[in-house]
Amino acid sequence: VRITQRAVALTSLQGLNRNLDALGKLQQQLTSGRVINAPSDSPTGTNRAMQTRAEQAAVAQQARNIGDAGDWLGQTDSTLRLMLETTRRVRDLTVQGLNAGNGSDASRQAIATEVASLREGLIGLANTKIQGRPLFGGTTSGAEAYTSAGVWAGISGAPVTRRLAENEVVRVDITGPEVFGAAPDDLFAIVERIATDVVTDPSLLEGHLTDLDTTISGMLKGVADVGARAARIERVALINSDRSLALSSQLAETENIDLPNTIMKLQMQQVGYEAALSATAKALQPTLLDFLR
Amino acid sequence: VSTFSGLNAATTSLWAQRRALDVTGQNIANVNTEGYSRQRADLQAIGGSAVPAFYSKGTGIGGGVNADSVLRIRDAFLEGRGHTEHANSARLAEEGAALTLVEQAFREPGDTGVQSLLSEMWAGWEDVANNPKDPAARGQVLQRLDTLVDGINFSHSALGAQWEQSRDNLEVLVADVNAAAESIAKLNQAIQRATQSGLPANDLTDQRDVLVMKVAEQIGGTARPGKDGMMDVVVGGISLVAGSTATSFTVAGTLAADNTTADPVRIVTSTGGYAVTPGGTAQGQLTAMNQIIPGYRTNLDNLAVQLATTLNTAHTAGYDLAGNPGVDILDSSGGPISAASLRVAFSNTDLIAASKQAPVGGVPSLDNGNADEIAQLRQSMTGVDASYRTMIVELGVQAAVTERSLGIQQVITTQVDSARESVAGVNLDEEMTNMLAYQHAYSAAGRLVTAIDETLDVLINRTGVVGR
Repeated sequence: VRITQRAVALTSLQGLNRNLDALGKLQQQLTSGRVINAPSDSPTGTNRAMQTRAEQAAVAQQARNIGDAGDWLGQTDSTLRLMLETTRRVRDLTVQGLNAGNGSDASRQAIATEVASLREGLIGLANTKIQGRPLFGGTTSGAEAYTSAGVWAGISGAPVTRRLAENEVVRVDITGPEVFGAAPDDLFAIVERIATDVVTDPSLLEGHLTDLDTTISGMLKGVADVGARAARIERVALINSDRSLALSSQLAETENIDLPNTIMKLQMQQVGYEAALSATAKALQPTLLDFLR
Repeated sequence: VSTFSGLNAATTSLWAQRRALDVTGQNIANVNTEGYSRQRADLQAIGGSAVPAFYSKGTGIGGGVNADSVLRIRDAFLEGRGHTEHANSARLAEEGAALTLVEQAFREPGDTGVQSLLSEMWAGWEDVANNPKDPAARGQVLQRLDTLVDGINFSHSALGAQWEQSRDNLEVLVADVNAAAESIAKLNQAIQRATQSGLPANDLTDQRDVLVMKVAEQIGGTARPGKDGMMDVVVGGISLVAGSTATSFTVAGTLAADNTTADPVRIVTSTGGYAVTPGGTAQGQLTAMNQIIPGYRTNLDNLAVQLATTLNTAHTAGYDLAGNPGVDILDSSGGPISAASLRVAFSNTDLIAASKQAPVGGVPSLDNGNADEIAQLRQSMTGVDASYRTMIVELGVQAAVTERSLGIQQVITTQVDSARESVAGVNLDEEMTNMLAYQHAYSAAGRLVTAIDETLDVLINRTGVVGR
């Protein structure tokens, strides 16, 4: 084969260019910290990266949903506990009213007044709002769950829900009738009857007390229900944060460079490039001219 | 045999070796000249008279050496291969560049591409589901939808700009090819005249071959040797240069990226308008303009239509804040929905249909059923996200395949180039050796003259002196 100086120079130059190109690619990976800079770098990797990113966005959103669901249930729980305390006080007063069946009118009147004011407090609590929505109003767009007369004003069709994961939806609300009993025998009606009957007809108080106990046990059931759901949300929150971490590391595995590996490769490429440079310098220099006199 | 014939032979040798040295000098001077083909003085022995004549009989010894012609060494077959491979390289490089630009228009994978805009938009619907009453949550989902639509519009117009750039580039390229064809024709004419009058045209031929290679790279021309050292250039069956006349090409076809199916961009002859099937860079540009870019623009259009259909169908199934049935949330700014005309239909946040329940007794329901359902559309295996991902993966595969083919093609091209160079290139060692040989031959011929001179001196001056 006839070899010419120019052919040697051309092929050397191409080899050097290829070396430099590989070096540049590694450098780009190191400086950007990413293996995949364009879909053509790895089509399957791109697909995985895009899917992982989409999932990450969904999981981040679900984390927000979970936090929000926790707020709702926490608020419901504390409101229900406050209302239970008040209701117990009403029960105590009712028992007092029973025992004071032969007491003075004045003391009955006092009991009636206190029960009536407790009832107002109960209605106020039952209208507690979160994010501008009444807790016990179901899906109503109105401002209150109970009117000042103690009549439920909510909508009970669809539950208020939060999505905790792709396939997991949890109900975060509990409607008034579910927890306080349905009209006409709900908490507020019973308490109102007590307030009236403690003065007018104490003999009916016995019956009201039984009703009140049923309602209290209904409220306790509600508290337990809300607590169980809160526990479920806590569990999901743990799973969610685990998933978020797993997805981050998955994305890093797909997209980010393996630092030691890449630095090693860069070093090797650099050694190769320098060797090619010095070899080229040596091969291109001598001609017969150097040896003729 | 004449007394002085030896002297004559030595003279032809002196003359021929000098000429060969001159050629060596020319070779060394052009060792780095692009497209230079090495030359060689064609030395031929002048034979003795081989035809017997009545009174004159040769002794069989020749009359010296002849160095009239200077050969240009180049392999026409390798040149042809070179044209083909250079054209293939140029075509693949152009296609690869076009696909790289398309990749840049989509900005994937990353935080700024359409995929992440889609994810944010779906997450926005879940925020609305969490808090269907909050105007802020409703406002942000509209904003995110707007950003997504902007992203799709942007990618579409980036592809359009790339298309227009390619169209301009093709015009410039064709003008360049026409100019090169003109020069080739002129050189052909000069070569013809030189050949006919028996003058060397090697350096003109080198210049012309460089131009032919350039035309091959740009538009995929093939060369056919003609008479008197001329060369014809043919592009896809249409003659570009025939002897000393050149035809010119021009770019025809649509000026708008949207119209490539009905009126594709093509190269035609300036007179007659016959279609030319080009190779090389021009072919790559035509592929980019007629297939690659319109293909991805159509994909984006389909994506826009799919997004609008999916969202509108889901949105109209719900009820807005006032309890009215939902309206279309995406529409077109004019004409049918496409990636360019897609836009958000309203800016009033109350119109977002987050509820699934019809109003009860005139009181609108504040459930989040519809917003939640819309947010879950992202999971659909046949949904917008999945279609978009499929498109990006296809783009990645296409670009990667082109890149790999280009790598392979470049190796082939370099091999052909070095084969061409090994035939036509100048080797300094060889020239040095030749120089030594010619120099020594020159000295030897000189010495021969001296030897004959001394012989004659003996004959003329020293003979016949006996008894003087």
